[in-house]
Amino acid sequence: MEILTQIPQLVVNGLMSGAILAVPAIAFSLIFAVLQISNFSVASHVAIGAYAAFVANTVFGLPAAVAVIAAFAVSGAIGVVSDHIALRPLRGQGPLTVAITSLALNMVLENIVRFSFGNDVRGLDIPIYRDWIFGTVHIAPQQFFNFLIAAVVTAALFCLLAFTSIGRAMRAVADNPKLADIKGINPEQIARLAIFIGMGLAGVGGVLVALQSGIEPTIGFRVILSVFAAAVLGGLGNIPGAVAGALVIGVAEELSLLALPDAYRSAVGFVAIIVALLFFPRGILGKR
Amino acid sequence: MKTTDTTISRRTLLKTAAGAGAAVMMAPAIARAEISGPIRIGGLMSLTGAGGTWGPIMAKVQQTVVDQVNAAGGIMGQKVEYFVEDDQTNPDAGVLAVRKLIDVDKVCAVTGVWSSAVAMPTLPICWQNKVAMLAIAASDTLATMPHHGYFIRTYVPVSLQGKAIGEFGLKRGAKNFYAMLAQNPFSQSMLKGLKDDVEPKGAKVGSVIYDGTKTSFRSEVDQALRTKPDFIMLGGYPQDSASIVKDLYRAGFEGIICGFGTAITQEFINAAGAKAAEGIYTVFPSVAETSAAYKNLQKITGVKGVLDTNRCQSYDQINLVLLAVAASGQATGEAIQKTIRSTIGGPDGEPVGDVMTGLKLLSEGKKINYEGASSNCEFLPNGNLPNAYFKTMQIKNGVLVVV
Repeated sequence: MEILTQIPQLVVNGLMSGAILAVPAIAFSLIFAVLQISNFSVASHVAIGAYAAFVANTVFGLPAAVAVIAAFAVSGAIGVVSDHIALRPLRGQGPLTVAITSLALNMVLENIVRFSFGNDVRGLDIPIYRDWIFGTVHIAPQQFFNFLIAAVVTAALFCLLAFTSIGRAMRAVADNPKLADIKGINPEQIARLAIFIGMGLAGVGGVLVALQSGIEPTIGFRVILSVFAAAVLGGLGNIPGAVAGALVIGVAEELSLLALPDAYRSAVGFVAIIVALLFFPRGILGKR
Repeated sequence: MKTTDTTISRRTLLKTAAGAGAAVMMAPAIARAEISGPIRIGGLMSLTGAGGTWGPIMAKVQQTVVDQVNAAGGIMGQKVEYFVEDDQTNPDAGVLAVRKLIDVDKVCAVTGVWSSAVAMPTLPICWQNKVAMLAIAASDTLATMPHHGYFIRTYVPVSLQGKAIGEFGLKRGAKNFYAMLAQNPFSQSMLKGLKDDVEPKGAKVGSVIYDGTKTSFRSEVDQALRTKPDFIMLGGYPQDSASIVKDLYRAGFEGIICGFGTAITQEFINAAGAKAAEGIYTVFPSVAETSAAYKNLQKITGVKGVLDTNRCQSYDQINLVLLAVAASGQATGEAIQKTIRSTIGGPDGEPVGDVMTGLKLLSEGKKINYEGASSNCEFLPNGNLPNAYFKTMQIKNGVLVVV
């Protein structure tokens, strides 16, 4: 009976943490959709975004909303530059080569962050508020705002892809880059834009994680397994799928606490990847 | 012309040889010592990962001491070579790093081992290669593992720390304790120390061991609060403890929160924010603030305020190794661990608090007793310190102050 009373709270906690995972998972899927590569340097861009927001918020004293925009712009720009230097020259070598190189790029970028800011744990200068209580369920205002930011970002991206010419061009390149080229769409420019938006979103994800915990150079590495699991579960390249995958992973991680010791929560990500590959190879929403 | 008979009888030769042998054996170690080649010491430091805050600071302290010794001519005419490897606060990386220090750099001692997770797999490698390990790693298990004396710990084992936190809670009237511990090799020892202390006195103890790599501990906090605790013990690292404390604040927890020294740091305050961190206690092994070694360390680091335990321990470790080499006249792991226990870590001899004074006294044939910046540096056969001194601090207005 006590377990039943815990479930609503665990589901709420899971949805809140899933929403945070959704933003970098969208980034991962967007880049995969347009370039057909798994770019694991998303993890370091999560960290870059968190530190960009930290500088904007605590050094320049800017409000949180501006810090989120700064995180998007800085990590997006660094994403484009690092891709141009490290990954673009290897795209012809196949997706596996690029995926492995992206792991190396991730280490390089993470260590640049480390050398620039040190290993100290830092935090954003954001006020902290008591929980809102609804019956047996309580929600922290910060969690709710994180959820809101994630929802707004997802909706904005959806609108961009669905209702603008840039979004249509992106979808065209994702479906068939050669045909898109014939139609006068420059796949290289679209790829660059997708990387900017994708890595920018990873940076926003970094801010959301930073609001929940602290900022340190491995902040992205700590979430990358769950992010990757969410993207695989949703079907790589499927953006609504990435959101659904992130929410499922978030809720599953929390509900697993009913049956598993807390220390094994990370296992949920691995199990989700295995289950997805065995039973939903095209993702829980299938591929468009 | 008188000639001298230079023939030596067999009896005379044997007498002379026996006498010379006895003289050598009875002479002070330093007089008969011979070290061929440079003295090689390794720092197995957590330069990155969870311990990355401390590793670079500790390596710098040790390098400064080595530089001082080398600038004064080294030890017995030999330079000291100091090699640092990053264990990434990760057991796999730690094993690779210690193998490099032992197999490639040929070190006789490994210092600075901060993480228990790293110390567990690297300790057997050290003692099997007769390399002394001087560690900070606080897991109780390390002292019970076979190590043939090659393990020396300058820190207090965590069970004693858990016990001290339990004592603190009981004194403050706590009856319902809850321990929130990051998954690592010392979480069970922390819990055992707390339980052993408070349960016989009628208090209850609940606990959760969580995955410290996650970014949210909301459900773990809910789990803790369901037991209605009046005292929460935090046994993780600054980043996860900060996240937990923020959620405790949001949930309106009004009991006592007390953490281990590894969790409650200035970094923790920065990450949690002054409001959520206000009033939180930490009970941790104190350093020897009145010792000569502590004052010397303040001088060489330029730190005027309170020195942290990691800095003090890294200073003591390098001093102990260098003085043990000088006192034994041998740059071997066996000589280092035995000499630290028998001679320079013992209560006899002239007290010294820095390596230069120690080397001077040893060269004059005197006995020394190194009294460190972190403790008196006397070690039991199992590698532990026999005594522990604790200090209580509380966060007030974003700063840790002594209670």
